[in-house]
Amino acid sequence: MFKINPTILVAIMLSIGVETSFVRSIILNGIVVLISGIYLLMQRPNFKLIGLMILISIPLAFGTWWSFIAFGTGDTHHLALVYASRLYAYLFLGAAVTLTVPVKELLFSLNQHAKISNTFTYGLLAAFNLVPRVRRQVQIIRYAGALRGVTYHLWQPQIYFKAILSALHWSDDLAIAMTSHGFSEGFPRTQTVKDILPKWQWGIPVVLAILYLVIAIVYKPW
Amino acid sequence: MQTVNESKAKWSLRDVIFLAIIAIFFGVIFEVWSAAYYAVAATPLKPYANDLTLGVWLMAAPLAGAILQKVGSSLLGEVLAAAVEMMLFSSWGAANLISGFIQGIGTELGFAATGYKNWGKLGLTFSVITTTIVTFIWDLFNSGYADYKPSLMITLFIIRLISAGFFGGVLVYYIQKLVAKSGVLKH
Repeated sequence: MFKINPTILVAIMLSIGVETSFVRSIILNGIVVLISGIYLLMQRPNFKLIGLMILISIPLAFGTWWSFIAFGTGDTHHLALVYASRLYAYLFLGAAVTLTVPVKELLFSLNQHAKISNTFTYGLLAAFNLVPRVRRQVQIIRYAGALRGVTYHLWQPQIYFKAILSALHWSDDLAIAMTSHGFSEGFPRTQTVKDILPKWQWGIPVVLAILYLVIAIVYKPW
Repeated sequence: MQTVNESKAKWSLRDVIFLAIIAIFFGVIFEVWSAAYYAVAATPLKPYANDLTLGVWLMAAPLAGAILQKVGSSLLGEVLAAAVEMMLFSSWGAANLISGFIQGIGTELGFAATGYKNWGKLGLTFSVITTTIVTFIWDLFNSGYADYKPSLMITLFIIRLISAGFFGGVLVYYIQKLVAKSGVLKH
């Protein structure tokens, strides 16, 4: 199965993503969706998740489309379709990365090929493992408040303050734990996982980005 | 012997984990918000919903700046928040990372304007203004704001300024005060 290295995927996502922001073309948005979609399907993703993703995005795309029909200037019908389809271009570009590569693989790949430092790679990985605890902590904060008859609102500083306190304690503990398990900041370390990136793959984002730009400038597709 | 880098200027493991955990907390807290946003965003009022809630997404940057008080902390805080959001909470990958970077730069400029000396009222005020301007310019292209009627553009800018001012300015200021009063920070 043809697999693009995660680092390369991120490079494609960012370069095409930035270009998409400036090019107003329904056809190009469609091509981005098509290519990302084909790659996504080739990786045998979770179809339920993709279905859900598309389902959730429909009202948003509709809102975008409608807002340009209602408040746009110039060729509103064309523009409305441009921005609604752009939403899907972004959605599929993102999905081609986030739904095909696990977080850990992505971080290790960026660590080895994009020079993201060990501190960031392993620090982020450590933090990601706390997601279930963070969810529980947010509930505990809410319940603890409810016991005293206090409701925390999102426009009041208290809930954020309590979150920051937990984050401070946990980051202290985690950093100490990692150091005592032999993690050394700013020093080289050996790799157990070897992420393979064939050199030619660096050509993919470059070629795609240039191709996109040339098509956008020369052909000015609809 | 353990080898731990004590240098203050560099990003320590603790700072990185702290910013990432904050980002996860915010992601979890804001999952509640997204329902409200979603309800409005399905109508032509979507641009209003975008700008009204924008301050919420911006908060990570000024908060990271106000608490860590380091050069680059706002940018890093927002990019990390965007990365966390991309990997854990949503599938807007490309858009997340790019707009996170833009928002971070916007906030960072505000603190830079004070020469990284003021992280309180003045620094936050500057950062609210710069981030509103920078993200609005970005949305002129990215979200097509340039193709809206001028009257709507002006309204959206004002709504954005108020949203950023409240969440990224006033709220962050009070959070910072609570944190300072609790004495948990070493600097």
